[in-house]
Amino acid sequence: MSALLERAVFGPRDDATLLAEMNALTRRHREGCAPYRRMTEGFTGAGSLAELPFVHVGLFKRLALVTELDDVRPGRTLESSSTSGQGASRVRLDAASSALQAKSSRAILADFVGEARRPLLVLDSSASLRRRGGLSARIAAAMSLEPFADGMHFLLGAGADPASLHRERIVELAGEHDALLVYGFTWILWRAWAQGLGEDARRALAGKTVHFVHSGGWKKLEAEAVDRATFDAALLDGLGPDSRVIDYYGLVEQVGIVFPLCECGYRHAPVWAEVLVRDPFSSEVLEGEPGLLQLMNPLALGAPYHNVLTEDLGRLIAGDCPCGRGNRRFELIGRVPKAELRGCSNV
Amino acid sequence: MSEHLRRYLGPGGPVDVLLPFHLDEVIDGWESLRVPMTREVPDAFARDEWAYLIGFLEGAKLRAVFEETFGTAIDGGEGSIALFRPVGSIAVWLPNNVSLLGPLTLILLSVTGARLRLKGGSSSEDLAAAFLAFARAHLDPNGALARHLDGAVRHEVFDRSDPRNAELAGEADLRIVFGSDEGVRAVDSLAHRPGSTTIAFRDRASEAWIASAAVDRELRRTLLSVFAVYGQAGCTSPRRVVLLGADRAAARSLAEELAGDWDALVRRPPAPHEASSAILGEQWARALGWDAVCASRHAAVFAAGTPDLERIDVPLGLSIVAATVEEALDSLPENIQTIGYALGEPITDGLVRRLASRGAARVVPLATMHHFGPVWDGIEFWRRCFVRMEVGR
Repeated sequence: MSALLERAVFGPRDDATLLAEMNALTRRHREGCAPYRRMTEGFTGAGSLAELPFVHVGLFKRLALVTELDDVRPGRTLESSSTSGQGASRVRLDAASSALQAKSSRAILADFVGEARRPLLVLDSSASLRRRGGLSARIAAAMSLEPFADGMHFLLGAGADPASLHRERIVELAGEHDALLVYGFTWILWRAWAQGLGEDARRALAGKTVHFVHSGGWKKLEAEAVDRATFDAALLDGLGPDSRVIDYYGLVEQVGIVFPLCECGYRHAPVWAEVLVRDPFSSEVLEGEPGLLQLMNPLALGAPYHNVLTEDLGRLIAGDCPCGRGNRRFELIGRVPKAELRGCSNV
Repeated sequence: MSEHLRRYLGPGGPVDVLLPFHLDEVIDGWESLRVPMTREVPDAFARDEWAYLIGFLEGAKLRAVFEETFGTAIDGGEGSIALFRPVGSIAVWLPNNVSLLGPLTLILLSVTGARLRLKGGSSSEDLAAAFLAFARAHLDPNGALARHLDGAVRHEVFDRSDPRNAELAGEADLRIVFGSDEGVRAVDSLAHRPGSTTIAFRDRASEAWIASAAVDRELRRTLLSVFAVYGQAGCTSPRRVVLLGADRAAARSLAEELAGDWDALVRRPPAPHEASSAILGEQWARALGWDAVCASRHAAVFAAGTPDLERIDVPLGLSIVAATVEEALDSLPENIQTIGYALGEPITDGLVRRLASRGAARVVPLATMHHFGPVWDGIEFWRRCFVRMEVGR
């Protein structure tokens, strides 16, 4: 659907095209999704990206929002990792959207890890692939790296326990290849690899080029006082000079769009996506001030997750980024701090 | 510690209560905290929580707990028909998202004279511990209350798998458990002494029932004040408003008026996560077919509709349904606890009976929904902190 997907990923913006596509998509979801239609009552069209109606990200934990139209071929349901204790977000995928989303994530990630194929080591269990009907955020993230892989190797045993790392498999792969691609959730990568790799695997990997890609956030590691510098240094210890650690931000409710951290510490929207920052108290769009991140893209055809207001705080950064990537860039600040819900017996 | 008798005139005659301290000294101790409490708010407490506690520590209110349970306080005389003494030891499992219940339970149980072990939630900010620390820091160390807290009150924090759970359960004469059905079952299944008992407080929901004709600014102020303290998280806080004798348009008007009143009447700026959750609530409500409106700065969300609509659940989200009494009764949740009413006229015995038959534990005027006394959830839990000895004459 999106003509923008044919453009250079971080090339010049074309907000007019994006707005036209987003308006069309909003009308489409209004036609096929009754709850969304009720939420957006009165919508006839937006004159700017900021005027488009968003969906609060929390709604995907509470309602099954799907767009029922003849051209939608429903697929698996993507589920978030549910670290907040409030249940998982559930986003129903569909065939057409999945194709667009795969194309999108490939283009974005290629800009960071290169196009070369190499073994993809996934810090998860192969059993995670075999869930019926659903797809976890971890597996979806790993699968987004498949275009750069000449084979996928799941390195954790059943239950995806970091302590179940198959170190001998790492030794074998390191012996056969000079370059490897590794994906894991941030905390799993820390526990399994940075802390649990073992001497044999470290020796086997010495001098090799390894690109680590991780996502899922820092919540668990913050509790252990592990910062990014410590994390990166532990992963890169002993590896070749071209090795890199790439932290990307993404939501199941924005599947297909990922925001890797660039060399200058910012995250860039591809030309087919938009990032806005809103004041939580007024919903006004903020330029340069911290607020709630709103993410939108025209790739979601089977459910209205094309335009979501997140519970993540960010700040738009003006000017060109020294990394050379154009378009919107932002600083991800973290989750909105949540005070405990205090009641007297609502447990 | 020496024992002290207090006498009350109950319906059947005079009764004595035997306490391990002089009750007036202990109550005076609690009341004495109100002065330093007005000067200092510990970080763990929100200001309105702290203000509620200051009010709760009024000596007359603590004495009223005894009088509501045993009768009118009287001096001297002979011929008591019963003697109450504190049950030996009480173990309390506080819930994880407990707010004031920890301190309130601590205060109410402390005046029974029983030995007390409180287990705080392992994944929450522990207000009971914070309050206990404040009390110990500000009480006269030689006073009766400080001595009682030091000698008879322990507060600990550990998780559900900790072996101390079994220790607490095994040694207590009375176990008080706040929690989910699963949590209550887990505590109740622990080995305990024959004859000891468990009192369980599980999740309960409350509602405000208001006659459309009674709505005015003062009533809206009262409604907002009982709702704003806990939002949807309080068991005594209204999770739904039933607007009797009204249509959906009237419910929508009330929602808009409450949203408009919020700033002036509540005067508490929202935190960013509260604003975000109000945005969520507004969208959620609309998606389900409610009319929804946010208060200024997304401080809260009010949804107007009918009883058949699926409910939303956000911390500061209040749904208002236009309904008949029949519709309201038919849509009461099974865990109904309190009905706070404002009907513009006295509530009828007939309606009280019908609410009782639906499981309501309290039917009280709207303004008193949060009043905590010796009876919670319809259970005379405070009375059960004492053992009664019959005295034949």
